Amino acid sequence: MKKGKSNGHGLGHGRSERFLKTVAVIVSLLFAAVMLYPLLFAISSSMKDNAKIYEVPPKILPDPANSLTMVFDYSGMMFENDEQQKDVMMQDSVLSMFAINSEMAQDSIMEIHVYGIKDGKIIFHSRAHQMKLQMECDYGIYKASAVKKAVLLHEGRHIRACESIGYEYDGNGLDAKEIKFSQEAHDKASAVLAEDFRTTGVLAGAETHVNNLLNLESFRYYLEMPSYIYPKSERIAKMGFMTFVLNSVIVIGFAIIAQVFLCSITAFAISKQLSPKAGKLVLLFFLGGMMVPFASIMLPQLIMYQKMGAYNNYAALLLPFLYPYGFYVYLYKGFFDQIPNSYFEAASLDGAGSIYLYAKICMPLSKSIISLIALQTFIGNWNDFFWAWLVTEDQNLWTLNVALYNISNNMGTKQNAIMGLAVVTIAPVILLSVLFSRQLKQSIAASGVKG
Amino acid sequence: MKATGKTGSNSKKKSNYILQKKLTPWCILFFPMAFTLWLKYYPIFSAFFISLFRYDPINPPGKFIGFENYTGLFGMQFYWDAWKNTFVFLLLQLAMCFLTPLIQALLLNELTRLKKCLTTLYILPALIPTSVNVIIWKWIWHPDYGVANQIAKSFGWEPQVWLSDPKLVKFCIIFPGILGGGLMVLLYLSAIQGVSTDIMESAALDGCTGFKRIFYIILPNISFMVFIQFIISVITTMQLLDAPYMYASGGPSGASTTQGIFIYNAFNQDLNYGRGSAASVVLLIVIAVLTMVQMRFEKSEKE
Repeated sequence: MKKGKSNGHGLGHGRSERFLKTVAVIVSLLFAAVMLYPLLFAISSSMKDNAKIYEVPPKILPDPANSLTMVFDYSGMMFENDEQQKDVMMQDSVLSMFAINSEMAQDSIMEIHVYGIKDGKIIFHSRAHQMKLQMECDYGIYKASAVKKAVLLHEGRHIRACESIGYEYDGNGLDAKEIKFSQEAHDKASAVLAEDFRTTGVLAGAETHVNNLLNLESFRYYLEMPSYIYPKSERIAKMGFMTFVLNSVIVIGFAIIAQVFLCSITAFAISKQLSPKAGKLVLLFFLGGMMVPFASIMLPQLIMYQKMGAYNNYAALLLPFLYPYGFYVYLYKGFFDQIPNSYFEAASLDGAGSIYLYAKICMPLSKSIISLIALQTFIGNWNDFFWAWLVTEDQNLWTLNVALYNISNNMGTKQNAIMGLAVVTIAPVILLSVLFSRQLKQSIAASGVKG
Repeated sequence: MKATGKTGSNSKKKSNYILQKKLTPWCILFFPMAFTLWLKYYPIFSAFFISLFRYDPINPPGKFIGFENYTGLFGMQFYWDAWKNTFVFLLLQLAMCFLTPLIQALLLNELTRLKKCLTTLYILPALIPTSVNVIIWKWIWHPDYGVANQIAKSFGWEPQVWLSDPKLVKFCIIFPGILGGGLMVLLYLSAIQGVSTDIMESAALDGCTGFKRIFYIILPNISFMVFIQFIISVITTMQLLDAPYMYASGGPSGASTTQGIFIYNAFNQDLNYGRGSAASVVLLIVIAVLTMVQMRFEKSEKE
């Protein structure tokens, strides 16, 4: 729209238009910046390490992530057999990893490599990410215990820890990799290991370097975290956070399919088969249901569902979508009203039944409205929390919103992990909405009045 | 039947056909209507029904007590506190968050190059679920590690406990909405774009440009949309449930207990189904009246 310019009514008009435009650009950009802030803040927080997230004042960007390599030398040591040699190396590995993780928490060490060498050959290697170690400390093998040598090695816990972290051992030597040792890293690491965490092997050298990709790797462990927090549930133990994603996909997917089908067939009957007067009344019947606030029927609805046995199972989550939402029926009807009746009359004369009319004539014509209803259903129900929260006790059934609420209320969970899960939840939706922004805008504009 | 079909008169066939034609839509509508009745309307009636009893969940419905639940409810300080909280939320919402989307849409309409990308950005808040928003903002309001106290400190103010302070909790819950965005911006924008260009052009000829155009031409032309959005915000804020529950579970000391949370607590904490249902019915009536007002205005605009 080029107003002002086209009229050419002297300078005064042009100036006021230009002034408005400048103000609009500046204020809009300010709004954009302020709106983006919480999102960027969440992303930045989710990439911070376990100590820096609690730093005051909070920094804007996460610190660079460090990778620490420690090499232990076992040359000249005699072991009874191969098994014992492996066990000693595992002990040293667990000891040094957890010691460094807890004592050098401020150094942003996101990754620790431990190598064991004997007679010039690398025979042991283990690698752990900081989040993995922290999860073992918070919920896993070392849950509710202090990081001390005796505790770490108590009753073969180190074997379980090593197995969980992952290691390579080969008495004949693993593939060698060149490491440049640094004196500073060596001093720091040996200072930590010197007293309380004395290892069997001799710390031959250590090295640190910056690898910022490690901050991104944290997300992998955030997704695994639920399987540590709720180990009793089989499905969560196997799938981690994806359990909740899957539940949300099931619920939303069912909602979309049910609404697209039910609303279309209802609107078809109202628009094409009923007299206008009867159609109006039936439409009002469906619209009336939408005016009822959820807060005022949640209680009787819960009692009713409990009586039917739809409690703490998928039926409870899915049943509320099994009736057509009045507003979508209304949108569909508006669309169907525009399809000329002659299409249907011609087919009816040839003996087509109403199912045929609906499936072969009506539906193929209404692709655009179907995508609109699907989008509307997604936007409208993606945010649902309270009902899913009321009817699910079982962690297996939690949808994303319920899971996020519960995990964030779990006192032990670190804030960076919570933020990470929140970011993981919204990232695909934001990505899709940017990709399909045109359709999204059209759909919202078409839906007209709906808060 | 077969015999009549073969030999029967034409008129009978015709009436049969008409009957069938009249019945099919109702056959199709049977399932959706029955389920709507069952899943949506039945709970409303059962809420009213339960509210008349001293409800006993083990052998329902318990003892009939007429409107005693309602009188008990109206005599409760907590109940009126919940209404008061709801209205404070409403006032805060309208004062802080109602105008932002309108301003955003008005300014967005003036942009040329940035318009597309900013519109996309403005949709995002509508797609971010409350649970994620709560996680982010709870961390911002955190008394020890949060950004809010850092900002307060830089202004030389006392650090606050924000969500744990009964006086501030409502402000903290509503504040995230001040950033605006959401579907409202788009609805306003499409209303603004619907204002006829003839009016705009003739106004420009009369020297009505810049901010004058916004105040004298655009705003009066979209006042209908603003009013509808106003009522919708009132209706949605009256039903506020998720956000205060997730931020503060209705606390501290009941300062963020809205009507929704009051109903939930009556059911979950006090196990008083009758009272909870009575509160449900009252809320339903209030919302119904507001919705009626909205529909009347929408109708009058159409005509």
